[in-house]
Amino acid sequence: MMRRSSLLAESLAIVCKELASELRQRVALSAIGLFAITTLIAVAYQIGPYSLAENDRPFLLSALLWIILFFASMAGLARVFVKEEDAHTAKTLRLAARPHAVLLGKLVFNLLLLLALEVVVVPLYCGLMGLRIEGVLGLVLVMLAGGATLSISATFVAALIARASGSNTLFPILALPLLLPLLVAAIAGTRAAVGSPELGAVLPALRAISSLGGVTMVTALLLFPVVWRD
Amino acid sequence: MTKDALKAVLPWVLGLWLAGVTVAGLLWAPAAAGFHGDSFRIVFFHVPQAWVAVLAFCVNLVASIRYLRTRAPLDDARAAAAARLGMLFAILATVTGSIFAKLEWGMFWNWDPRETSIVILLLIYAAYFALRQAVVDEERRASLAAAFAIFAFVTMPFLIFVIPRVYSSLHPNLVEATQGAVRFKMDPGMRLVLFSALAGFTGLFAWLYSFEVRLARVLAARHSREEA
Amino acid sequence: MGVVIREVIVLNAGVVTVRFDGVTKRFGRQRVLAGVGGEVRPGHLLVVAGPNGSGKSTLLNILAGLLRPSYGEVRYLDGDVPLPRDDWYPRLGMAAPDMAPYEELSALANLRLFARLRGCYNGDGPLGTLLEELGLAAAHHDRLIAAFSSGMRQRVKLAQATLHLPEVLLLDEPSANLDADGHLRLGTLVERLKPTTAIAVATNDPREIAWGDAKIELAG
Repeated sequence: MMRRSSLLAESLAIVCKELASELRQRVALSAIGLFAITTLIAVAYQIGPYSLAENDRPFLLSALLWIILFFASMAGLARVFVKEEDAHTAKTLRLAARPHAVLLGKLVFNLLLLLALEVVVVPLYCGLMGLRIEGVLGLVLVMLAGGATLSISATFVAALIARASGSNTLFPILALPLLLPLLVAAIAGTRAAVGSPELGAVLPALRAISSLGGVTMVTALLLFPVVWRD
Repeated sequence: MTKDALKAVLPWVLGLWLAGVTVAGLLWAPAAAGFHGDSFRIVFFHVPQAWVAVLAFCVNLVASIRYLRTRAPLDDARAAAAARLGMLFAILATVTGSIFAKLEWGMFWNWDPRETSIVILLLIYAAYFALRQAVVDEERRASLAAAFAIFAFVTMPFLIFVIPRVYSSLHPNLVEATQGAVRFKMDPGMRLVLFSALAGFTGLFAWLYSFEVRLARVLAARHSREEA
Repeated sequence: MGVVIREVIVLNAGVVTVRFDGVTKRFGRQRVLAGVGGEVRPGHLLVVAGPNGSGKSTLLNILAGLLRPSYGEVRYLDGDVPLPRDDWYPRLGMAAPDMAPYEELSALANLRLFARLRGCYNGDGPLGTLLEELGLAAAHHDRLIAAFSSGMRQRVKLAQATLHLPEVLLLDEPSANLDADGHLRLGTLVERLKPTTAIAVATNDPREIAWGDAKIELAG
């Protein structure tokens, strides 16, 4: 019998399935959350609100925030694909769903996970480190765009490494060089938002992040069928 | 001259050419202004090495795209060969670059944009080989590696074009663009040696690359003989 | 059961034949399959037999398009027209030991997901009927797979493989972990699907080898 479902319906079915399993097991959420909270506490305890020179604060604190977010995401974003291979469910999914529905479904789930992380970690970080944000809207935009671009690359690399052995160590090795441009731009954008209430201040970083996101999204869509099926 | 004879002579021509470039670069090229002593002479090796590392990255991209279209094992072997050579030359460029940096700026490493770019390139090559090693199935290894190579190539320009605007560069600019025309800031003798070195290293890459591809062809032929 | 299966016969007007030639697979230096060829078509059930490690599962994976052969080719023919690879999966149903259902979902939720993905979800009714026909009582439908025995899982796998009325059905050790009752139900299902579905079964069970109209014996 031929397929009668749309790409959107299929992607949605996958997002719902991911959410249902995550709500039941909470593995990815607790991995990412605990990693972020632990590093956050370590950083806050060691550095705190007063030990940095006033001039260095915006830059160092923005960099530290993104390093926490980046490594926390490395702890959990690969799971969407790795768990399918580990639990031997990948093959069934491969046969039943269109590759693009799988990519989009997993991508949306990872994005939701990352946004949930940001919603908790960013305010907590600002509070613990005594970081005052001048441009809140700018910061929100940088976090949204940065989270989206991060989840695109991370989801694609997760699909790659899930099909290799020793995938958990491989994930950061493959993802790091691909995500460095994003990290640089996101840190620059965050620093701009910390220092200035003007939306124009974060614009250069926002442009870099979203063009990187657009290009990686198109490439991921083109390459994913190969990665997922071969 | 027949094709075979030409093939036999070319490596010798290449060897002589590179020997000539080495001698000219170390002894003949006139001293450049603005550098400490003879430190600038490393440029004749460093710049071509960095160029070949980038060239190999491009060859790897083309071979990877070809593999995904043709599914020919030889195209995968081409991609892997280009990456191996690219990694070798990226390491050489990093080492010569940091020797120059030590002599010129007093530090082996400065996180100058171009230094950062070559380190990322090295990391990408390392990740590429880590991925290849972790996949047992040959067909799957080939397509996953090709997909990673293409994805990495797409993010690379962002590094090269985004980072340099964020930080200022210490790197000497050999080429200066003025009013649309590209003008070289070098002495004609230095320029001659540098371009000869670029040509020589490109030839060296081509020779090593063809060597690797020939080896892959022989191995593939042996495999299919075993199948028969 | 009868109702559902009679529907299959009406719906599956298209006839897909799977033809494969010279299929060879190497894993590194080790050769698993060497030049295997054959045909799977409706009404002509193919049995793939052979000792453990002889490449039965590998061959089925290659027929499914899940694995690329090192040499040789597999074609899905709709009449005489070869189908592009993208059109294989929607027509294909498969059950294999390494295809587990989602542990954290219930039996019915698993089937619902795959029915939705395949675009043939018409409410839970038909899915529940299918599970019952495979011998899984209604009381178990909403329980998590994690609490299932391996025989019950096998029944869910078989339901997953057939819920979309596939044109090509690949069964790898389909009666693994099944009791006598389960085996009987599987036999009924296969017999009824056979006239309209190209079926290949990888097995060493003599009862299943008897289903075959053709047989490939792989050497160890």
